[in-house]
Amino acid sequence: MGKKPKRDKSPQIEKNRHKFPELLLKKLEEAGLCTENLIFCCTGDMDNDACYRSAWLSFDEKGLYIAYGTEELMKIKGKKHIEPKYTVEEIVAIPIEDIDKLETERYVSTGRLISVKDGVQTSLVKFSIGRIGQFDNLMKAFNSFKEKGEAEIPTSAEPEDKKCKKCGKPCPPGKDFCKKCGKNSAVAVRLFKFFGGYIPQIIAIIATMLLGSAVSVFIPQVSTRALFDDVLANPDGLPAAELLKALGVLVLSIFGVKLLNTLLTVIQQHLSGGIMPMVIYDIRVKIFKAMQRLSVGFYSSKQTGSLMERVISDSNNIYWFFVDGVPSVIIDTATIIGVLILMFVMSWKLSLIVIVAMPIIIVTLVFGDRFFRGMHHRNWLFGARVSAMVSDNINGQRVIKAFAKEDDEFDRFSKASEDLMNSEIKLTVSEATLFPILEVVILMLTTVVLGFGGVLVAKGEMTAGTLLTYIVYLEMLRGPFSFLSWVSNWWSRCADSAQRVFEICDAEPDIVEKENAVGFENLRGDIEINELEFEYEPARPVIRKLSLEVKAGDMLGIVGKTGAGKTTIANLIARLYDAKEGNVKIDGIDVRDLKLTELRRNIGLVSQDIYLFIGTIADNIRYAKPDATMNEIIAAAKAASAHDFIMKLPDAYETRVGAGGQKLSGGERQRISIARTIIQNPKILILDEATAAMDTETERNIQNSLTKLKAGRTTLAIAHRLSTLRDSDYLAVIDNGRIVEYGTYSELLKQKGEFYKQYKIQSEALKTIGIGTSEAETEEE
Amino acid sequence: MSNNTISPETLRTEYVIPEKCVFSLNPSGFLAADIDGKEYKRVILTRSLPLSLPDEYICISDIEKNEVGIIEKISAFSPEQQELINSELSQRYYCPVIEKIESIKEKMGHFYFDVVIGGVKKAFAVKDITKSIRQHGDAIDVTDIDGNRYRITDFASIEAKSRRKLEPYLY
Repeated sequence: MGKKPKRDKSPQIEKNRHKFPELLLKKLEEAGLCTENLIFCCTGDMDNDACYRSAWLSFDEKGLYIAYGTEELMKIKGKKHIEPKYTVEEIVAIPIEDIDKLETERYVSTGRLISVKDGVQTSLVKFSIGRIGQFDNLMKAFNSFKEKGEAEIPTSAEPEDKKCKKCGKPCPPGKDFCKKCGKNSAVAVRLFKFFGGYIPQIIAIIATMLLGSAVSVFIPQVSTRALFDDVLANPDGLPAAELLKALGVLVLSIFGVKLLNTLLTVIQQHLSGGIMPMVIYDIRVKIFKAMQRLSVGFYSSKQTGSLMERVISDSNNIYWFFVDGVPSVIIDTATIIGVLILMFVMSWKLSLIVIVAMPIIIVTLVFGDRFFRGMHHRNWLFGARVSAMVSDNINGQRVIKAFAKEDDEFDRFSKASEDLMNSEIKLTVSEATLFPILEVVILMLTTVVLGFGGVLVAKGEMTAGTLLTYIVYLEMLRGPFSFLSWVSNWWSRCADSAQRVFEICDAEPDIVEKENAVGFENLRGDIEINELEFEYEPARPVIRKLSLEVKAGDMLGIVGKTGAGKTTIANLIARLYDAKEGNVKIDGIDVRDLKLTELRRNIGLVSQDIYLFIGTIADNIRYAKPDATMNEIIAAAKAASAHDFIMKLPDAYETRVGAGGQKLSGGERQRISIARTIIQNPKILILDEATAAMDTETERNIQNSLTKLKAGRTTLAIAHRLSTLRDSDYLAVIDNGRIVEYGTYSELLKQKGEFYKQYKIQSEALKTIGIGTSEAETEEE
Repeated sequence: MSNNTISPETLRTEYVIPEKCVFSLNPSGFLAADIDGKEYKRVILTRSLPLSLPDEYICISDIEKNEVGIIEKISAFSPEQQELINSELSQRYYCPVIEKIESIKEKMGHFYFDVVIGGVKKAFAVKDITKSIRQHGDAIDVTDIDGNRYRITDFASIEAKSRRKLEPYLY
């Protein structure tokens, strides 16, 4: 490395110095790298040959630096957290003038950073694919620095240390601790906070439980010891009538104590039953509210089933743990303590035998549980596969029948069911082997206690009633010990569910309204898109530096192949996603500066994916305007050419649609969705392949509806069928996230470019099936 | 019974003829090709069936990711050409190979793997283990929470201790 350059700190440089930890910066300095002026830093995990090695990449005004070395996580004495120990072994410096630009390439498990100079690519370093986002940010920062002399730090650039501060294991993005270290106690605390409003009831429940435990522990003293020693043994030599009377009193006492115990259980269950549903209600409402706050991106990244599970199944898991698990923990712990004390009081000699044997039983229970946990999990996997296969089969029945694949499907199902059966047999056999072994151990303990106890009775050191009571207490311990040996797993499952619930509650929406967001005073509907860039996944750009302008009241048609980025443009205008770079402006205001409700209220989106909610047709039409009058609903339905078919339904506007409701065709559903948009009365209308899946007649009907809807609005129409865009004032042809052609319908035909090519293909196709030839020919002329 | 085999002509698949397709390395060490007399300064090879038939149906694309042809079988090429093709594919499909599983611990729905890769200890976390583990033939792929993929090339041949740790999660 050369002489250190003069240190001057620009705000930009200062802002990003945090990207490397101070300890590492110190080591890099020692190795000869001047870190004062580093503009952007990024951490890799491989060298150029894809061998695991710590790599630290950075650049400044003079060059790009790749430092290789090791990073070891050390537990520092007296400190709670671990600290990394860095060793820098080698620094490769590439002068900035030797790189025109950087590129990243995405492979299956790895990625590669490449430098380009005069069109010649050179591989610099490889990295695990999970780091592609960081390397992409490095590439963008470097390229903008080369191009403009100032690094544009991508807004998504975040500190990269994803290791748990406590143990050094990987931890989820944005978290300081791995799930193992960080959250168990924190989750418990957060869960218990839901019970904050019910403290008196909780105290009453716990008091009832403890009282119940005390009564349970007391029962053998009456039902066994007193029965044998005080009555049946007749120590005072009472006459038969007196003895019978004493027996009657005792039996009534046993009944009374057991009744009290049952009463306490009923009170406890009533109190719990009153609180738990309210707590679970609070949790469910909290999840649902949090889900409404989140952006579309969150829903795209999660499966619907998994989200539904969070609302329903996870809250149920929490419910059952608190309804069944927590009371059992309290009762069983109290029972164990009470019983052990009584056993010691009754005979410390026998208790010593129990103390010696107890660890063997506990260890067997704990290990048995661990052993079976794996088998249960495997069994659960096979079961889940069978369920998934049934669901797949039911959903795909039309396709199965169309391809006559019933027998193949049956074979597939049989194989999966057989696997499940074998797994269940293995589990049952294993359980049937281990549990008797445990029973034998317990039996041996009871036998020893009984034998030694018998000697003590013979010696007169204890009574027969006390010995029998002692055996009853021994039996009483088995259940609570067994429960406590696996309750930790139950808690893990509950905490896991709670963790997933809190993950939603804590998730930050990608789309956040600014504090000082503005509204429209009088919206005209001008749309301006400037240098827009967007990607759903790092290093996979969907929109690349795209600029467009639509004047208020005009219609812009957007055409392009599937995956060209057309729908993404619509999503960015409606701010369902935020642009990575560049911006979208409406009436000159960046959509990110607008109030979300105002923006969305003024944009009507009719897309190919039609969703009707559970409810009546009228409810669905008035979705955007709940106070719409019936006159407005009918007018909107008429404008959408939906009124006629609605009136043919037996319940007309009161027909129930959505899941489990009346089956409607795609065209009918689309017309209802158009009516819904008409009621919304938006200033900007986005038609995203609104008629793509319709037959020609339905399409014509819907086109008529849309023509009415378009009047006086700025319209963006995305379509495959070019004929539907004939009314557009302008057309933009999109390919690979860029505009490749722009102009009026006739201008684009004259250009004889991509649009003309598509037009010809479609015209030929229509001629072949005997539709629209005259239209096509007229246009060509 | 009718013959269900579809001829490549029907599907108009552009298979390259080994004699008319010559691969070489460009000055930067990337793969270049001459296909039917047309020169490509850099080509990208992609497997159509990376798990079951890694040496057949290889798509050739140019730098703009436009497909320029398909290799039906790598074995149809000369040994030198095969070496170039395989070298390019092994770079693209490189996957760190797990040699030993030291532990798999489950906590709060995450599975923490401690493994050995290339003699180096590596720790990673897996979420939703059923979807993150994929078995294909003798091999098993594990994908971690960051999307990184690791492979056990032959599950039967790794030591029994490691096998036992992963077995509960396989089906």
